[in-house]
Amino acid sequence: MHYLVMEEWARRDSPLHRRDARVKMILLLVFLVWIGTARPAQPEAYAAYASILLVAALASRLPLLSLLWRAALVLPFAATFALLSWMAGDAERAASLVLKSSFSAFAVLLVVATTPMPALLAAVESLAAPKMLVMVVQFLYRYLFVLSEKAQHMWMAAQCRGGIRRASAGGAIAVLFASSHARAEGIHRAMLARGFAGHMPLIRPSSLHWLDISFLATGILVLSLGRWLWIL
Amino acid sequence: MHIPDGFLATPVWAALDLAAIPAVGLIARRSQAGLEDARAPLLGVMGAFVFAAQMINFPVGVGTSGHLVGGTLLACTLGPSAAVVVMTAILAVQALVFQDGGLLALGANVMNMAVAGVLAGYLPFHYWGQGPWRRAAIFLGGVLSVLVSAFLTLAQLRISGIPMPSAVLGLSMALFLVSALVEGAVTLAVFGALEKMNPGWVRKPAGAISRLRGALAAGALLMASLGALVASGLPDGLESAAAKLGIHERAWNLFETPLLDYELQFAEPVWMRKVAAGLVGLAIIYLLCAALSRWLLRRRSP
Repeated sequence: MHYLVMEEWARRDSPLHRRDARVKMILLLVFLVWIGTARPAQPEAYAAYASILLVAALASRLPLLSLLWRAALVLPFAATFALLSWMAGDAERAASLVLKSSFSAFAVLLVVATTPMPALLAAVESLAAPKMLVMVVQFLYRYLFVLSEKAQHMWMAAQCRGGIRRASAGGAIAVLFASSHARAEGIHRAMLARGFAGHMPLIRPSSLHWLDISFLATGILVLSLGRWLWIL
Repeated sequence: MHIPDGFLATPVWAALDLAAIPAVGLIARRSQAGLEDARAPLLGVMGAFVFAAQMINFPVGVGTSGHLVGGTLLACTLGPSAAVVVMTAILAVQALVFQDGGLLALGANVMNMAVAGVLAGYLPFHYWGQGPWRRAAIFLGGVLSVLVSAFLTLAQLRISGIPMPSAVLGLSMALFLVSALVEGAVTLAVFGALEKMNPGWVRKPAGAISRLRGALAAGALLMASLGALVASGLPDGLESAAAKLGIHERAWNLFETPLLDYELQFAEPVWMRKVAAGLVGLAIIYLLCAALSRWLLRRRSP
């Protein structure tokens, strides 16, 4: 499945994988802001963004075509509005909608596909996100697959029994709710028994290598130089 | 309904991000306070439950099916502030892992779906959750949550200058209306089954404080979001009467206000300038009324 592939990718090794999650997150945000505030109708700017993304994708040593395919998930939405703009006679906006949204999605994908989720969330937390929210996201991501599989099994079982009707679908979701609720209580008790004190420690605590700092400095330098020279 | 990056104009996404960060931080703190520490695992697993529940499709007749969005259901079981946190977490996972919605646009999506959607969905239950209108309140909550977030999303896209011909706008509104009705029906069905299984899961609403207040609040929310879309080009009655009588030109010199002609000057497309100005005007009127009523009450009480 889609997300399982992402998990496998995040566990590989490459120059981009080895960089600190905080550094990647900061550079991602700066890059997204740069794209978000890019002036429209500048083909060379989009070429520059595309080449930055290409370099990063090559450094990640992930299959480029599959990366592109996943980033293209944003296209149905973007293409609809691009078509509307194009029909309204605004071809510039149409192009910028498609390019901006797909470049942004590709950048997010690259960072998420090269960083294991716990490290990524720890980085988000160290960048001053509310602790409670980050913890909820952590649990959500952990049990997403478990509960989705359960829902799929229930759905398949219902199909085998002759399909689902409106009345029984409400019941099915209520059963899922009940079992999720019970599971959450069990999880919490088990975690308390293992010494959970309100925080999830990382197996490999992150430390800033000099390579991380130079990566951050280079990234910021390239982006601000590009903006200063009116390229980006 | 998730806005990707690159769609919103810079002032729009920046302002919504700046609004969403303190709002979610505040609500997260509130949902944490006064509750046992089992909260984070519970909320996370319930978020995963919403993801999983979206895999179960509801047949809605004529070959179509819909699925649960979940904001209202969570608000009526876990409480509104916890539901906001769970929906925010869901949107964050969707933006990071599923490329569904942008990262810079996360603030906009959170404000539309997690904050406004959940609170609008909880409002009817809060006021009519105990009484003869209970089932209607839950249904209305589901409908409102989807409608309010859809209207806000469309409005933000239009402020950002995405061209939307009226035919497309009408079509998407019709689609949103259908999915809102589906959400209401699904929420009601799941809610009924849950209550039968264990009444303890269902939150006790605050009770019928004042039906009138609830009706006014729900109606006002719907009208404000609907009105934003309807009031695009129509001059109001007073203005057209003034134009007919020829006092139009003179009136401008009398009232030199910052909301001149109900348009804010900084927003780009004309259509949304009026809506933004209308909302600012509403806020100003609200603040004036609140100040006035407080002053009156203070004068009367001693």
